[in-house]
Amino acid sequence: MEGFLSDELCRNPHRLAHCGKITFFNRKRASATNDGERSELLFCSFSFERGDNAFLKAADGAAVISRRRSAHVDIVKCKCVTDVRKRVTTACILVTRTSEKGHSFQYSLLTLSSSNKLEPCIEFKLPYQMKDNVSILQGPTVLWTHDNTVFYTSLKAGGVKQIPIQLSHIVVSELPLHKGQIFVLGLPNVSEKSLNDQLTSQTVGCFVENGLVFDGSLVLPHPYICITQCLFVLAADSEDGVLTCTVVAATSKQQLVYFENGAVKDVCQLPFEQPENIQVVDAGRNGCLFVVSFHQGHVCAVWKETFQIASLWSDVSSVHVDDFLGCGTEQILLVFKDQGAAGQPLEKFLITDLCGISYSRGQGTEASKTSSPPAENYLLTVQALESRLQSGLIVLQELQREGRVKDRVLQQTVGALTDVVSGRETVLSQHEQEGLTALWDCDDESKDEALDDKMQHAPTVSSKPQIDKLWHRITEDQMIVGVILSSDSSRPVSGVSLSILTETGQSSTPAVIQTRSQVFWLPAPCPSSSSSASSFPEPAAKRSKQHNASRPNDLNTCRLAVTAVTKLTPLLNSDCVKCSVMLHYVQRQDAFGLVSDPAPVVLHCGQVVLDINDDFQSQLLKNPQLRTDEVREDLLSLLAVLDRWVLHIDSPDYSLGDIDGWIQKRVGCKKIEVNPEYLLLNSSGPSAVMLLRWHQSTPFQGKLSVHSSQLQMLQFLDSLLAYLPASCSVRPVKGARGESTAQMFALALENEVVSLREGVSLLLCEEDEEEAKKKSTGHEETPGSAEGLLRCREVWQRDVERTRMRLSPLVDAVRYRRLIQSMTKVQLEGDLAALLNTQGTLLS
Amino acid sequence: MAPPLSLLDTWVQENNELVNKCKQKGEQDAVSRDCSQPPLKWFSFEFHKLLRKIQGIPPNADHTQLELAVVFNAGVCSAAQSQVSEAELFLAQATERVLQMTGGDAGASDPLVRWRTVLNSVGDTALHPSVLYLLCLQWAIWLATCQLKTIQEFQEMSALFDTLCGGIGDGSVSEARPKSSNIPLLVMDPRRLIELLQICTSIALGAERLNEGRSSEALSSLQAASALPAPRALVAYTHLLSGSCLTHMRRPQMALQCYRKALETDSRCVCALYQSMLIYRQLGNTQAEIQALRLLHSTLMLPSAIEPALGSTHLLSPSLLLRSQSLSSLLSVPSALTVLHSLALKCVLYGRVSEGVEHYLDLLAVVHSEDQQGLHTEDATLPKLPELYLEAGAALLMARRPADCLALCNEVNSTTLELLPEKVVLEEPEERREAETRDMEGENSLAMVLWTAAAYLLQGHCHSHLKDWKQAVTHYTRCINLLVKVRFKKRDFQPQIPGADMDVKRGKDLCVLERLKGLSLAGRGICFIQIDKLKEALRDLQLGLQTFPECVGAGLWCGEVLWRLRRRREAAACWEKTWSLTTQSLDKSLPVYLQEPQSGPLLDSTELRHRIQELGPT
Repeated sequence: MEGFLSDELCRNPHRLAHCGKITFFNRKRASATNDGERSELLFCSFSFERGDNAFLKAADGAAVISRRRSAHVDIVKCKCVTDVRKRVTTACILVTRTSEKGHSFQYSLLTLSSSNKLEPCIEFKLPYQMKDNVSILQGPTVLWTHDNTVFYTSLKAGGVKQIPIQLSHIVVSELPLHKGQIFVLGLPNVSEKSLNDQLTSQTVGCFVENGLVFDGSLVLPHPYICITQCLFVLAADSEDGVLTCTVVAATSKQQLVYFENGAVKDVCQLPFEQPENIQVVDAGRNGCLFVVSFHQGHVCAVWKETFQIASLWSDVSSVHVDDFLGCGTEQILLVFKDQGAAGQPLEKFLITDLCGISYSRGQGTEASKTSSPPAENYLLTVQALESRLQSGLIVLQELQREGRVKDRVLQQTVGALTDVVSGRETVLSQHEQEGLTALWDCDDESKDEALDDKMQHAPTVSSKPQIDKLWHRITEDQMIVGVILSSDSSRPVSGVSLSILTETGQSSTPAVIQTRSQVFWLPAPCPSSSSSASSFPEPAAKRSKQHNASRPNDLNTCRLAVTAVTKLTPLLNSDCVKCSVMLHYVQRQDAFGLVSDPAPVVLHCGQVVLDINDDFQSQLLKNPQLRTDEVREDLLSLLAVLDRWVLHIDSPDYSLGDIDGWIQKRVGCKKIEVNPEYLLLNSSGPSAVMLLRWHQSTPFQGKLSVHSSQLQMLQFLDSLLAYLPASCSVRPVKGARGESTAQMFALALENEVVSLREGVSLLLCEEDEEEAKKKSTGHEETPGSAEGLLRCREVWQRDVERTRMRLSPLVDAVRYRRLIQSMTKVQLEGDLAALLNTQGTLLS
Repeated sequence: MAPPLSLLDTWVQENNELVNKCKQKGEQDAVSRDCSQPPLKWFSFEFHKLLRKIQGIPPNADHTQLELAVVFNAGVCSAAQSQVSEAELFLAQATERVLQMTGGDAGASDPLVRWRTVLNSVGDTALHPSVLYLLCLQWAIWLATCQLKTIQEFQEMSALFDTLCGGIGDGSVSEARPKSSNIPLLVMDPRRLIELLQICTSIALGAERLNEGRSSEALSSLQAASALPAPRALVAYTHLLSGSCLTHMRRPQMALQCYRKALETDSRCVCALYQSMLIYRQLGNTQAEIQALRLLHSTLMLPSAIEPALGSTHLLSPSLLLRSQSLSSLLSVPSALTVLHSLALKCVLYGRVSEGVEHYLDLLAVVHSEDQQGLHTEDATLPKLPELYLEAGAALLMARRPADCLALCNEVNSTTLELLPEKVVLEEPEERREAETRDMEGENSLAMVLWTAAAYLLQGHCHSHLKDWKQAVTHYTRCINLLVKVRFKKRDFQPQIPGADMDVKRGKDLCVLERLKGLSLAGRGICFIQIDKLKEALRDLQLGLQTFPECVGAGLWCGEVLWRLRRRREAAACWEKTWSLTTQSLDKSLPVYLQEPQSGPLLDSTELRHRIQELGPT
């Protein structure tokens, strides 16, 4: 009997751990000779004896399942679950009896009572046979799937019931709530999918007992439902109908995934495929372990804390978790596959909690391959050590720095002391003095420069600049009049501007129209500009010298374009069609001319006839490849109309690369053939024209001129910044238009205030001085006599008079006139600056 | 409670948080070495963890962009820690999953074929840039593992990246900006990575070609690369390598221009300074060479020179990508001490004795302090310590500081005296190969003997400089006594003066030995003249001339002795013979302490000529 039992048990391992014991179940086929025709279910419990290091039999028993001979009895599954009525955990075993014909299947769930008796609990009949997907859950409840439908039965349900919704990819588990709730997760079926699109990417959950449907993604996110092989709910809470839970799932992607409320918290790569079951071991103080058993007898234990693999085993026939030692914490019992045919059922086993407890029998050292502690543990330790080391280093560095500072202070002190002793001045103060003197020098220089400037405005009547061409353009509501001059003489002209005079038919006095003038230097007709790009770059020093040298040459020999921009509307209102164009300039004799009072020269350039019906389509915008004079004029007009920003781009530690190429790659960018330095960016419409000029001085620095509206410039800059290296700095060059007018205005106002104050105080001071002179002529009197007293009174009265006079003083008329004159000059300058400023702000 | 975010959103968030942290770390690293930030290892681990999560579910078209971004991030972090194989594994997994999703054929094992398949299978979809980013990483790995051939084979790569780069910054990005919270970020701007890869590839290829002797080809590609956007140090490298190419093409002046450009670009590019120094040396421009050496030394002494010049980017740094042997040999610069030594030596050899002495003293001070701190590492390019002492001593004597020279020589003698062997045998090279270990010992003991002898010689020179003839004779005698202990040995164990077909090293030892002997004999002879022991003087001077015929002093003084001994014709002949010798100032191949002393008693050649004239024709 004994031998037979164990033999059978070994072949069909239906084992479960229960109350610190391991129980084997087996059916016994009725033999014809023996007790008639009945099938029996045998069970046998073993408990572990530490002394013997072996499992000894604790109890056994049997129950009759069927008395009919032809019935075929099978054990479907056994498991320990909570009996809701008795509120204890009991071992349950599901057996099936097949009728002779095989049409109907009789299932019965038996429980093993505390008195070691098998008692029938639920019985039901099915027209089909359950497959592997059967679970025994709390209640006890038996749950299985058939044709994508979930069926269940329990004592409470009273018969076989069905889950109301159709699901595919079903995962079954239970929540560890005090009531205990079994749920089913799955994807809605195809038919429903098409009906309700909202659910397609959602997992659906359903409580078995009440049929309530909930959002399954709270437990398991959508993509995981298809690949989850087994699921274990660690903790769950249901407050106000909102479910929160932590779940561990083993997937077919060889991962153990830890979910918190449907979010993936941690992942552990599993070493084997096809996980079958997850169990949790509570090893007390030592933490928790997940034991995952796999197909073909592989087992893997994972620490809950670190989510790292703790140990691996192979050739395991079953894994059980219980307190086999009776020590208060749980252990893993691994029953290994027994190669030897005969003998005890528990010949080879291992009881361990991986934290010190380890009992094994019948296995060599090779059977248990405890993996080395994971690298992560080392990593954490090393991290901790590293941070300690680093903090130590910081302290050390600080100390060293302090030491260095002290040393330096000491050195300086000693140096100063020796200097004092030897009567020398210390080096430190000398530096400061140098700084001070340098500042003074600077001021002097600027004064000198100002003087120079004045001197340079020397007029000469000789050699008028020759006017090559006069043209005009109209863009939107502005008119641009331009003149190209060639000053043949070596004498430079300065202060060049254009003004436009209306020439109305009736009145004889022409009116001056407000204009904005600009001067451009045109390159000399000789084709020298293109030769600068050589294949093998010459040294930077040489090149920059040449560049500097080329400038003054240009000024003297090259042609000059002067443009004036004005609003079109006033011209049209006044019914004017003809305008005279006047050129103003100041010609200097030499760099150091002697004549101090520059007289402006006015030159009549010609007349411009406005015709609104003229076609002012810009050739440049149509075809920048053209090289005609018209296109050059178009370019000049554009430059005159558009606002200009000059930006200095500096990238200290990353070279800029090919910015020109980048600009040219942008949509709608074309090179202007007339002046290849400029790039035309004409992305959308004529109002959004943009002229760009990039001049790279070193691989790390360059200057970008942008001619466009402010918004466009900012947009362009934004995209440029994405291209430029992160450490790059972009700043506007001083003296670009927008900045300077405001600055000029501010300076003019300041100047006005200062000169007013100084002028008035000077006036009054001089007045006072005269008073003082007068006063000094009178000699001191002493109030000794009556006459003296009288004199004193006179003096006193004069004093009173003078204080009264001080409040509303009388000043010399000539001097006052002079003051007013100078003040008017200053105010005129201020007005001019204000005008320029308002124009600038209006236009930008 | 807010509805839980979808998996995709949470993962994107997780990725972006990590990326932002990583970028913050990069910025803080740049500003100050803040240690509170988690190390790169941590980021690598976290990205890997996230990747495991993402790859834990089946390939999904919605998730692929995120997945590829995380693969890129994890790969960059791994590669930044030089864990190239890990990064490659990520790439292999990613390509496999992309192919799974697009239904491509995943059979190819050759990386080139695999990448082409992936690119084809992705086509022009939104995933195309993501796959290109991964290809960038692959490129970086190829570069880091010096697989330049593979990079060159992948011709279409550069075209692909041009399109990728072109797409950035022309408005296409700004359209996508509003949704930025949903876009997985990358730890490294792919465009910067591409720029870095392009210039690093150019530099590595240039170095490789230069090593293979294809200088002109390398030069053109390096010149093109110098215009690429890149960190300052790398631009400097392109100029530097161009200079090396030009040096190989025998255009030293143009090479000098390139080196100067490299220095102008990056002042920390000490290698350019070193190479210029070598060119000046090659051109024989000693003053410029000394100047360059001085600059090089002061640059190497700057604290910034210790820091690696390429540590600017905190993730994939150029130093990680430029690992080829040929490049590092081109970029190698001798240590500050070696530079200081050659500076000192050059100064002494080219007439800047006092300057040279100062450099020697600095050098000895540094070596001494390093020795005391136990830091002294054997610098193969620096001569042995006793030799340094002897060179410094010789320099001091030249600078007319005999007392200091005596002190240094005493130092040498005190260290070597105990180690002096009783007898040294100078063997022939055939013998040496048979007994390597014994020979090492023999070599050492020979060196000891030569050093001690040189020290005695210098001491003799010092004393004769101080006109302490007795002491001088003592020291010269010690030197001679020591030198006669060395015996030559031929194969048949018969002492014999070896022929000229000796190998260089042994030949040099022999030469040193001969010279020491000749100089010490001559020195002693001169001393004997001063104390009027003319016979002894004549003997020593003649012996000295025998072993070292080129010795000018010995020749002149020998004549003087003969003159005093009334053998005037012989004396005249002796002088004539000496003058007929090529008047070499200093022999550069021999140590400076083996040069003929310029101090001590001197004879005036014009006066001698007068005497000959007075003597009249024979």
